[in-house]
Amino acid sequence: MWFRSFLARLYIFFFVVAFEYMNCYDGRGKVAGHFSLFGMTTDLYGQIPLFALVVFIGFGHSRLKNLKEEIPFGSLFFFAHLICLAVVIAFTIATQTGQSWQLIDPFGYFKCAIYLLATILLALACAPLLSWIAALRATGFLWLYSLLAGVAGWAFGTPVRLLWNATSTEQSGWMQRFTLQAVYAVAHRFTPNIVSDPSTFSIGNSLYWITIAPGCSGVEGLGLVLVFTCLWLWVYRKEIRFPQAFLLVPAALICSWLLNIFRLCVLVSIECNGGSEAFAKGFHAQFGWISFIIIALFFSLATQRLKWFRMLRSTVEVSVDPATEQAASAGESPAIRAFLIPLLVILVVASFSKLTSAYFDWLYPLRFIAAAIALYFFRSELKKLNWRFGWLGPVAGAAVFLMWIAPSWFASLSGHSDAGGSLGADLAALSPSARWAWIAFRVAAAVITVPIAEELAFRGYLARRFMSRDFDQVSFSNLTVLAICLSSIVFGMEHMKNLMDWQHLLLGTAAGLVFAAVLRWRGRIGDAVVAHAVSNLLLATWVLGTGDWAQW
Amino acid sequence: MKKSLLMNTLVVLGFALGACASAHGMAFGPTPHPEIDPSLAISGLTLLAGSLAVLRAKRNK
Repeated sequence: MWFRSFLARLYIFFFVVAFEYMNCYDGRGKVAGHFSLFGMTTDLYGQIPLFALVVFIGFGHSRLKNLKEEIPFGSLFFFAHLICLAVVIAFTIATQTGQSWQLIDPFGYFKCAIYLLATILLALACAPLLSWIAALRATGFLWLYSLLAGVAGWAFGTPVRLLWNATSTEQSGWMQRFTLQAVYAVAHRFTPNIVSDPSTFSIGNSLYWITIAPGCSGVEGLGLVLVFTCLWLWVYRKEIRFPQAFLLVPAALICSWLLNIFRLCVLVSIECNGGSEAFAKGFHAQFGWISFIIIALFFSLATQRLKWFRMLRSTVEVSVDPATEQAASAGESPAIRAFLIPLLVILVVASFSKLTSAYFDWLYPLRFIAAAIALYFFRSELKKLNWRFGWLGPVAGAAVFLMWIAPSWFASLSGHSDAGGSLGADLAALSPSARWAWIAFRVAAAVITVPIAEELAFRGYLARRFMSRDFDQVSFSNLTVLAICLSSIVFGMEHMKNLMDWQHLLLGTAAGLVFAAVLRWRGRIGDAVVAHAVSNLLLATWVLGTGDWAQW
Repeated sequence: MKKSLLMNTLVVLGFALGACASAHGMAFGPTPHPEIDPSLAISGLTLLAGSLAVLRAKRNK
């Protein structure tokens, strides 16, 4: 069984530790017992294991998956873990409710010690001590790097924060100050009447006034770019030349910071000249991700295509190291293009169309047109799939539709219906011809291009990719339960409207399970596409018939 | 060996620094115009992962 391997247990251990840290320990400096470093409170035990585990699993994955021995689950250790966790939760509740008995542990050291003990007991429940020792031996010095990363992640956190958080000391916040100066220097050329106030990190004029908050100073982009570039260099280290590849990291960081300056300059220039608020909001919601994705893609292309950064083919081929040879022959199946590009095209067009407006997506028809062009471009590859379908597809689609609208239907019965944002009002403001044209493209996309693109990506590619790198060689009838579940969870995540939208996560996951089950049962992608299309068609009918715009 | 150790250490330290910068940067609460909007994280990461997978695809035989 897959969940008895050491790697599976390590994943379970990580997710349980992360869940308990966020929900039971109540970290983030809220409770007594957190240590003080450079004048700021911080918690010790939560962050170090989480950082260390991420590094250990991520960087040791290829070696850990070779530990195939089936290991038992330590029920007694898990029971002891639950008792320790109950004590930790009791102290957390006592702290939050102001119970007097929290005074027996005024600095929270006892609670921290019990939490650490609970974590160790959970580790022993997930895998016996001998299995941990075997894993440490198999991964060499990775435990040391992981611990180093864990401690560094915790220890760097507070001093690094001083770079952009102005509330700690007078010397801190230079990142905000530097960003403000750069934005002023550029924006002043286009909007001469703007002024800046370095004491509050603000810039603007009588029409608009913006504060460069710590989160706006570019640090989020720098952090993401640093994480991505380091992970990329590690994963593809056999194909990359060092040390020259390290030069790409600061280049990517500089690009990230400059693009954030550009983002802020556009915001200041538009708003201070009385420009569209919808455009400004849309631009700034999307531009950060677009710039991060562009930097990441250029970074990966540079390491793969530029001769100075990539390992020469002949050097790789003559190597006797099996890992190097495997890396040299690695790469996704060429069929991936036909399966993924239609969905990627939809996502790209959606990102750029949302750049123009934070509210009504008036460029939505472009998504349909772009996806249709992509599907037409790959028609010869897609013709090889079995597109026939039977009665099961429509029946499954109707079931998914009923499941999808059930929560809002029950909510409307109890008088808690969701207004559904401003889509209805935005459409009503259009001329009749523009309104019906937009609705026609919206329905056509929901019924034609989106089901095909999503079924190709999530069931056609992702579910089979979880089973084999050569995914196109895997029959749909042979999809495993694990591959179906994982691809359905990703499908559910794709339908979340924000990171806390649990309802659409569950509904999307359930819908993905139904579509994948239909696909596995019949062995034809046509059945899954028709099921998806029928559910979307019924949903569009529901939205137009009832005015329940929240479903769109 | 020494070169490999140095490379590993640099990469792991860079990863830790980037992770803590992202985590602490995003922990400042709601910002009217965040640089990286968390609500777009899933579509952004899907687009990035998909694009990287396509770029890593082998050429047609």
